[in-house]
Amino acid sequence: MPRRGSKTFLDLRRASSCYRTQLRMVIAVPTIYYKLPNGLRVILSPDSTAPTVVTAVYYRIGFRVEPKDRTGFAHLFEHMMFQGSQNLGKMEFIRLVQENGGVLNGSTRFDFTNYFELLPSNKLETALWAEADRMKGLAITEENLKNQQGVVGNEVKAAILNQPYGGFPWLWMPQYANSNWYNSHNFYGELKDIEAATLDEVEAFFKTYYAPNNAALAVVGDFEPEQAKAMIAKYFAGIPSAALPPPPDLTEPRQDEERVASRKDPLANRPALAFAYHMPPRKSPEYYAMGLLDQMLLQGDDSLLYQELVKKNGFTGDVSGGINELGGMFDYDGPMLWTVALFHDAGVTPEQILSAVDTVVEGLRAKPVEQSLLDRSVTKMRSSLYDSMAEFGGFGRANLMACFALFDDDPSRIDSLEADFRRVTPHVVERTAQEYLRKTARTVLLIEPGAESPADAQEGPE
Amino acid sequence: MSTMFGGPKEIPPQGPPPKPFQLPTPEDFSLPNGMRVTIVPYGIVPKLAVRAFVQTGGIDESAGQVWLSKLTAALMKEGTATRSGEQVAREAAETGGQMEVETGPDFTSAGGVVLSDFGPKFIALVADVLANPALPIAELPRLKADLARELAIDRTEPQTLARERFLKTLFPDHPYGRVFPAESDLQGYAIGDAQAFYRNHFAAGRTHLYVAGKLEGDLLRAIEDAFSGWEQGSAPPDRPASPVKARSLQVIDRPGAAQSNLYMGLPVAAPASQDYITLGVMDCLLGGSFASRITSNIREQKGYTYSPISQISTRRRLAFWVQVADVTTDVTGPSLKEIFYEIERLHKDPPSAEELAGIQNYLAGLFVLRNTISPDAIIGQLHFVDAQGLDRSYLATYVQKVMAVEPADIQRVAETYITPSKMTIVVAGDQAKIADQLTPYQ
Repeated sequence: MPRRGSKTFLDLRRASSCYRTQLRMVIAVPTIYYKLPNGLRVILSPDSTAPTVVTAVYYRIGFRVEPKDRTGFAHLFEHMMFQGSQNLGKMEFIRLVQENGGVLNGSTRFDFTNYFELLPSNKLETALWAEADRMKGLAITEENLKNQQGVVGNEVKAAILNQPYGGFPWLWMPQYANSNWYNSHNFYGELKDIEAATLDEVEAFFKTYYAPNNAALAVVGDFEPEQAKAMIAKYFAGIPSAALPPPPDLTEPRQDEERVASRKDPLANRPALAFAYHMPPRKSPEYYAMGLLDQMLLQGDDSLLYQELVKKNGFTGDVSGGINELGGMFDYDGPMLWTVALFHDAGVTPEQILSAVDTVVEGLRAKPVEQSLLDRSVTKMRSSLYDSMAEFGGFGRANLMACFALFDDDPSRIDSLEADFRRVTPHVVERTAQEYLRKTARTVLLIEPGAESPADAQEGPE
Repeated sequence: MSTMFGGPKEIPPQGPPPKPFQLPTPEDFSLPNGMRVTIVPYGIVPKLAVRAFVQTGGIDESAGQVWLSKLTAALMKEGTATRSGEQVAREAAETGGQMEVETGPDFTSAGGVVLSDFGPKFIALVADVLANPALPIAELPRLKADLARELAIDRTEPQTLARERFLKTLFPDHPYGRVFPAESDLQGYAIGDAQAFYRNHFAAGRTHLYVAGKLEGDLLRAIEDAFSGWEQGSAPPDRPASPVKARSLQVIDRPGAAQSNLYMGLPVAAPASQDYITLGVMDCLLGGSFASRITSNIREQKGYTYSPISQISTRRRLAFWVQVADVTTDVTGPSLKEIFYEIERLHKDPPSAEELAGIQNYLAGLFVLRNTISPDAIIGQLHFVDAQGLDRSYLATYVQKVMAVEPADIQRVAETYITPSKMTIVVAGDQAKIADQLTPYQ
């Protein structure tokens, strides 16, 4: 049953210039949310701006939860979803979308794997039929698996093994900053694990996680909701649900001591440095405050770290990073890091850089933040929220709503995000910085140019 | 896997006929100082993209001035006659955006994407950065150090090295072929060099401002107020290039590399040519899309590579075709063999009408996406047409022209333009391991 009716598309209400007491703008995205009897969560968000439609299927299985002796399996499996199903042979899914004038992709993230198509709006039924076809089951041969093991092996080589700074910091930082295996293993995968995967394992993974009651389907764009509902019932309602395994314990212990790790990179020729802090629990006041701290500290040339590290000290040409290096602050469900990364010259030491970082961060921990800085961070966040929603022809909106449906059973959270950020006060920012931006909760990762000595190779995670 | 399905296969549902698509309608005008302006109302998300393209960039650098345009652009963000660099950054952030000044071979752009309600304010800021930059000497050493670091890191990236060698070979005596400066040149740039570069090349008469998105407030007035005082300047110099069309094989040795980075291609018909759109269709079928022949072959059949792609790149009034692929070292030769096999197959036989129709439908759909996906994408489409001196009807007639291409046209442009004996081939990889594999391609 629909949880809420449609509203006018974007209800933009101008109000007073006083940020703090009144919302200057309220976003209301029309959301129709219901579940099929088999448990599939369905989110419909009509928008007739362009004659296009996004169809996105999200499965609640990411790389955190993959077999322990098969690192990289969740991602390898994502590739297998393009290798054939009952009515679509290898390459036929991709060709079907292309021939109908659309683009498609899939990706594996911390807590979900997604598959999506952006098509001319008259092709919605084609996309729904194709996604349902591969939700029903795969038809994969040994040969297709071998082929994709080769492709994924090449992906890892291109991104990591043959690339200076390849896993810096996105792949490596979680391995040092986290202590629970689910959060700290090599989720791109060791080549030997990728090569060892078997067809039986592919089948077992599909049966365990790729069931309608472990998935969300989001449709965003130019369509009639009643017609879409009928098509969704026709193609998806007959797919049986499955018994889902209990979720593993993903929790990270509170970090009480600063960690410093270093890696040698034989392909690099300048040192690099990253540091990360653990995020507060999702949806807590501190979580929203951390979103604004990210804006204040790191996002944009006006940010405190840019001004300190780039402009004032000239240590680096840019600072980059944010919450969730493989997505954003809304599309994960578990422990997460806020990460900052930069490249520097050999003449500058990590101690100099970290001392400048401390100056900035300790300033925010010592006293409530200035209202004008907080206001600017809210403006930047508002702008970034609109970008997320409009991104890639409505895919950004599908992404947020599918995640909120899977993680919170509530895609309408998208409507209240702006208000959640506006509720953050200087006091909450201070409290958040005091607990979550503690030096003792920080992990520092240093990249040193040069070949690894045999002794170094024994240390630390891969 | 063991899951078995019986019975005949279902046919995918086709859906109803497509809805009509109207291109967003731009409004064009010029200011008295010669600056062209295009405004495109689009969408309902309250964001606005503002991009001013100045016709200058790498093209205006002499051989000893490579990246001087980049240094000048970096200095332009560091403040104006009345604003410090920090103020520029802060005021841009207050509009929900950032001041971005970026250089390319033919254009330098200034602008950003901001909240619509702050459009007029941001337009004024863009004008100030373009017309009144302080180019402060105090920031010069830091920015040069940043560029030197960027240069050093760029030189460690294998794809970038392959691309540099490819462009150097294609454009031996032209700025388009100069991707990296000598570090000593970079260290020698003085503030006077950047000031002269700015003075000689930034002016209203060389600039086209595009504004696209949800329009709020009096943007026309804001644009006139902000830009009318900027001087017209002189017309940009014409520096035509004649890219090399000759076979060569060049290896960049990277001992121990896990992959070989292939970068190969040659000049093709320019955007103004009758053949350009047909070439685009051919490219998409040959290597330019996921379902293309080369990708199907070396990725999906052979597993040699993850992300092979071909494309047609453009510079002012010229174009070149490239195929790139990062392949596992021990299949470097076999990858080249398959790429040439697919090219030659297209020379010999036209594609089937069915295969071509799939590509045509794809490009027609992509065209809608490119013109709707974001305000910046809309600007990109218009800027391409304007920068290449094409008529705006190029966009309105594009889909019709794509759909009119026949299988024999594909074969003809493949044969005419994609000539293996005239291709520049660059391979960055482990020479000791790939030398033998490359022998047939010398």
